[in-house]
Amino acid sequence: MHSEQPNYTQVFLTFARNSLIRDMTFRWDFIIQAVSSLCWMLMNLGFYLLIFQYTKEISGWSKYQFFLFMATTMIINSLVQTFFMPNAAEFSELIRTGGLDFALLKPIDTQFLISFRRVEWASMSNFVFGLGLLSFSLWQLEVMPTWWQVLLFPVFVFCGVLIFYSLMITLAATSIWLGRNQSLYNFWFYITNFSRYPLEIYRGPYGSWLQWFFTFLIPVLVVVNVPARLLAQEMDRQKWGLTAFAVFAAVMSLLASRWIFQSALGSYRSASS
Amino acid sequence: MAAIEIENLTKTYRVYRKREGLWESVRGLLHREYRDVHAVNGIDLTVEKGEFVAFLGPNGAGKTTTLKLLSGVLTPTSGKAEVLGFVPWQRKNEYRRRFALVMGQKNQLWWDLPAQESFRLHQQIYHIDPTEYEKTLKELASLLKVQKLLGQPVRELSLGERMKMELMAALLHSPEVLFLDEPTIGLDVVAQHDIQNFLREYQERQETTILLTSHYMKDVAALCKRVVVVSGGNIVYDGSLNGIIDRFSLHKVISLQFAEDQLPGDLSRFGDVLEIQPPKAKICVERAQVPYVLNRVLAEQSVEDVSVEDRPLEEVIAQMFADTTEEHRPNQLTEEPTEF
Repeated sequence: MHSEQPNYTQVFLTFARNSLIRDMTFRWDFIIQAVSSLCWMLMNLGFYLLIFQYTKEISGWSKYQFFLFMATTMIINSLVQTFFMPNAAEFSELIRTGGLDFALLKPIDTQFLISFRRVEWASMSNFVFGLGLLSFSLWQLEVMPTWWQVLLFPVFVFCGVLIFYSLMITLAATSIWLGRNQSLYNFWFYITNFSRYPLEIYRGPYGSWLQWFFTFLIPVLVVVNVPARLLAQEMDRQKWGLTAFAVFAAVMSLLASRWIFQSALGSYRSASS
Repeated sequence: MAAIEIENLTKTYRVYRKREGLWESVRGLLHREYRDVHAVNGIDLTVEKGEFVAFLGPNGAGKTTTLKLLSGVLTPTSGKAEVLGFVPWQRKNEYRRRFALVMGQKNQLWWDLPAQESFRLHQQIYHIDPTEYEKTLKELASLLKVQKLLGQPVRELSLGERMKMELMAALLHSPEVLFLDEPTIGLDVVAQHDIQNFLREYQERQETTILLTSHYMKDVAALCKRVVVVSGGNIVYDGSLNGIIDRFSLHKVISLQFAEDQLPGDLSRFGDVLEIQPPKAKICVERAQVPYVLNRVLAEQSVEDVSVEDRPLEEVIAQMFADTTEEHRPNQLTEEPTEF
């Protein structure tokens, strides 16, 4: 009678709905969260406005090209923060307290369940802000995106989100082995920090080593660079090459993180009652 | 047909042995000593479909670990188990749709939302047919008398009300096997009684196979015909509740009421004198000696009333736990650390 699989989309929508109901219950918390992260975005923007008083470009990225890059960073980060950050943070806690038991009982994919349980709607304010900054930069650059740009940009934003998600779930999964992993946020910040700058700045013996490492081993450099370049720069063969690589990197990251997550689950030992 | 079959099931944890003091903690960073804790130590058990079985045992006896193994939350170190024909730790969805686990010390409902929102989520995760879901929900709510509480945020409910909601959440998909880990812990007498009544009625109606662990003997006495006593990871008794008394209680209590304040002074020659409240007295006597003692007392004294009773079940079981834990050293897992 109950042989069918659960409807994953419907379950996700209910998660999103329940999260929204909860957020609305504590509306001031919601508003403060949205406002404070917006302030952080504005301060960031102000910082780069300062820098561009001293220079015309940063390794080939003009002011508004760079702002377009920043807008892409905001869009991708806000999506990760909205959908995955609260879940990854809670996962570590679920392991320490043994709450993961309940997730393991449910007739639904465990990784899906713990990845999507909560949605932090307040972070969507950054998404809207990012979209605004993106349109403003395009307008300043006097660029009218072509249809293929409009089509491909979201696709590669999605690839970027997948890579970040994979990294995050891998970090979270390690807390099964470590018992407790509070350095999760820090690690996340250290690594993703590299993704916030254009690929071109990683030059020289140290820089090119970093570029290689963060493109091929932990592919965080392609996350923002690929979609941002699509909109902001002239594409050439080499750039298309990296774009194709981004798809490959997204798929590989996802597979690798899935494998790590599954084997970590095998070592789960629960907490005493 | 057997619903649960367990054969030589073993779960061993490796636990970090922490020594006292700061220096030892620092040393522990580099060199750790471990010891093995045998939480479940080769258990054999068969439970038939529709049975209501109680798991008794002191803290750390392995009751919860056994339930977690049968729920597939943990993978055993060795041994076999099948529930409804499935190996639990393979975590097949077909299996997970057919059982439920309720833990009295943990909750799975969304804390800030009304329980009905969590229920709706269960409906979707378990893919329960909407009309059937509505019907089950109504039935459960009226059996537990919580219709009015469904729309109230869980954090505003009392402990007892919350437990009822947890039970509902676990039963919405009409599981064939139900694992209950101390469902009445911390509840007041009324709430305990409500939950006992509910479980009894529900089990009779649905013929669910239920494994219950509890510290409250009243739960067990009210609900279960069969009792399995675990201690130190082993099964030390499997049978009826009264059987425990027959097997483990070597004494009975004789209560006497003497006529006209004639309380004989030398009662201690019959057995341990528990209590003297003239004209009444209670003596604890070895079981084999009961007929002999009664005979003599009745012959020698004028007695108005007499009764022979078993020792209270709690006492017998406490004694039994004390005996068994002496054999196997205490096995308790480390508790959650208190943080400041």
